[in-house]
Amino acid sequence: MSVVAAAPARENLRRTWYAFSRNGGSLFGLGIVVVVVLLTAFAPWVTPFPRHARAFTDFEHASLPPGGSHLFGTDTIGRDILTRVVFGYRFSLLLGLVVLSAAVPTGVVLGLLAGYYRGWPETVIMRVTDIFLSIPPLALALAIMAVLEPNLQNAMLAVSVMWWPWYTRLVYGLVSSLRNEGYVQAAQIVGASPAHILLREILPNCLPAILTKMTLDMAFVILIGSSLSFLGLGVQPPDPDLGTMVADGAKYMPDLWWVPVFPGLAILVIVLGFNLLGDGLRDIFGVEV
Amino acid sequence: MKRLAVMAMALVMLVLVIHGPSAGGPREPIVLRIDEVAVAEIDPAKSTDFVDSILFYNLYDTLVAAAPGGKLVPSLAESWTVSPDGLAYAFKIRRGMKFHDGTELTAADVEFSLQRMMALKQGFSYLYDGWVSAVKASGPSTVAITLTRPYGPFLATLVRLGVVNRALVLKNKKDGKFGEFGDYGDAFLSTTDAGSGPYRIKAHNPQQLSVIEKFPGYWQVFAVNAPDEVRVLLSVEAATIRTLMVRREHDVTSQWLPTEIYRALGDTPGIALATERGQSNLFLKINTKRAPTDDLNVRRAMVLGFDYAAVLRLIQINDRVAAGKTARGPIPEGFPGFDPTLPVPKRDVAAAKAALAQAKSKNVELEFGWVAEVPLEEKIALLFQQNMADIGVNVKVVKVPWALMTEKATKPDTTPNIVPIFFAGTYPDPDSFLYSTYHGSAAGSWTSMEWLQSKDVDGLLDRARTTANPDQRLSLYKQAQKMIVDQVPDIYPYEQFAVFAYQEYVTPAFVDPAKAIPVQGAHWNFRLWQVDMAKKKAMGGK
Repeated sequence: MSVVAAAPARENLRRTWYAFSRNGGSLFGLGIVVVVVLLTAFAPWVTPFPRHARAFTDFEHASLPPGGSHLFGTDTIGRDILTRVVFGYRFSLLLGLVVLSAAVPTGVVLGLLAGYYRGWPETVIMRVTDIFLSIPPLALALAIMAVLEPNLQNAMLAVSVMWWPWYTRLVYGLVSSLRNEGYVQAAQIVGASPAHILLREILPNCLPAILTKMTLDMAFVILIGSSLSFLGLGVQPPDPDLGTMVADGAKYMPDLWWVPVFPGLAILVIVLGFNLLGDGLRDIFGVEV
Repeated sequence: MKRLAVMAMALVMLVLVIHGPSAGGPREPIVLRIDEVAVAEIDPAKSTDFVDSILFYNLYDTLVAAAPGGKLVPSLAESWTVSPDGLAYAFKIRRGMKFHDGTELTAADVEFSLQRMMALKQGFSYLYDGWVSAVKASGPSTVAITLTRPYGPFLATLVRLGVVNRALVLKNKKDGKFGEFGDYGDAFLSTTDAGSGPYRIKAHNPQQLSVIEKFPGYWQVFAVNAPDEVRVLLSVEAATIRTLMVRREHDVTSQWLPTEIYRALGDTPGIALATERGQSNLFLKINTKRAPTDDLNVRRAMVLGFDYAAVLRLIQINDRVAAGKTARGPIPEGFPGFDPTLPVPKRDVAAAKAALAQAKSKNVELEFGWVAEVPLEEKIALLFQQNMADIGVNVKVVKVPWALMTEKATKPDTTPNIVPIFFAGTYPDPDSFLYSTYHGSAAGSWTSMEWLQSKDVDGLLDRARTTANPDQRLSLYKQAQKMIVDQVPDIYPYEQFAVFAYQEYVTPAFVDPAKAIPVQGAHWNFRLWQVDMAKKKAMGGK
């Protein structure tokens, strides 16, 4: 039985991959994401100066232009920028993962409930969602950070708080149309519990859209996280963060251009990677997010 | 002979070309553009910091003025007498000086200005609070000021008493808590000026731009090419200022740019670097009331463990210009009260470890809070962290925004163990550096994050304040400095020179070290600055 079931699944996967790999942009995006994830996973071994990721000063080798043993140059206190960019990716990815793993379950559960149970749960949940969505995301995060002490945990919290409503709205829309599908009504007629219907019948059909949105959102969360630390509210020195590195380096433009430019390019690359990957997923799943 | 005549003609024509516009018709106004950090407070009773001081000295006149070397010279007051007990001062006010609205400045305006400053209780009013018991004008040209106790620094503090136009202020008063004086012109004087200084306000936005223009009726002479208008840009990005300088669309920078930018500007043809010396010191303020820095041995270990030579390398801009030099004690060289006999601090790792071994606590860990707005402080913090790691002290570096730092400074247990503070003298007297930093009554402010609270030091500083004889006072201040340094409330990494980059067609007044005035903002008396417009045009100035 299981062998028979596995064959179409594998076949399905093969077809999906074929469709995905026809798109050069998506492959490129996937490549970027894989390379960055590998780099960050093995950061202490692949970076030339792992010590520079923490508090470190070497004024003798400060402000060196790119070249030689420092491919991206050094910053004004002598730390290798390449090393700090790779370690900076760690915080970016961590922020993205934590925010999404907090925001997605919350948003999805609320969206399922609001879409399935009409009436007052829908009204309450969706109006609160609307209120959150009406506030510009960065403004809300800034307001939260103004109250809390600026550090990575609080930045994660602030971004999570503003992120779940998007998933509530997405899932609510999907559930609203799926609840009238024949298989859902069939399940209701045979007496399946609401939990079964929501989790086993409806949720699997929402997954492609959710996954696609998550991939695209990784890019936006990283960007918002970098914006917060650019404004001095995210990761605190000496921990390396791409947004902080751009903010600190901007005042040395154009003389020490490498100090802000490489971290800025690093943000560009990772955001581009997740965006291309997300676009590819959207195309093969044929979903709108 | 004929050739000589031709050459003479050519010379005359050249002179005419250079001075042409001023000979006939209205000449092009000379505009000087500088930049500073917001907020620019122009009320003389409230102004304190650097940009405030620049505007203060241009908009207002004072009874006495600071001169090179910190000497006091007559200004609005052409002479004065002091009673033998040091309690009664009588100032003879110069006649014929005009306010910007054309009315004459009289003794009544001086009386009003001091009363107003003391009533508002802001800015430098603490210099008079409790010390001045009465001020009385008699006739148009005599002011008598009575003190409660002899007050040694009194004359020096008068360089911060700006004289305002009494009639104009009262005409523009709003309702307020000062009875017949309303709000004492509080709202009015933050938006415009009521002074008699060489320049007057043309436009003022305390967050963005302050424009001042020449006051032709001023009682002292202007330099030949003194600016007609000075535009003070506020809080413009460092990278923007750097670009504007290279494009010659800006004339003089502030002193708050990163070292790297001064270095780049110093390498740019047509741009020079100048330093202002003898005004300011960097203090690494050690909280003497919070563990582990309440332990004298820990403080000694830190002073011995810090790498002073590395700091000097850090502030070296190029092979000609540095942003400071080795410091001895709390007062910089060139400022009244500097003590050249105090020892020069040096790094000695072995001695630092020995001092640390005698400390009560074995596992020493402390917090270094640097001011977020000053990027150089981060470098100093990280250097300190590295130096302390060498002697076995663990330092946590924290970035603190200025507004939060002033709040942390109000309690000993919230004040970080170490905080770097640049402090500039504001009136030419040792009291300016020592009292607000070390006297027990000044505790709870950012100037006194040492929390020294030593009865002996307080006693000496009080005695020095209430002594009238200048020589006796100076020796008391030297004694006090020895006593202070022995208790190690600070590390003195270096004496700060404020660095400015300026276009070579500008001649700032402080370029000549012999004319250096050791008081914050006093050099920025634009009346004595010069802008060579012909040279500016030739250099492509816009």
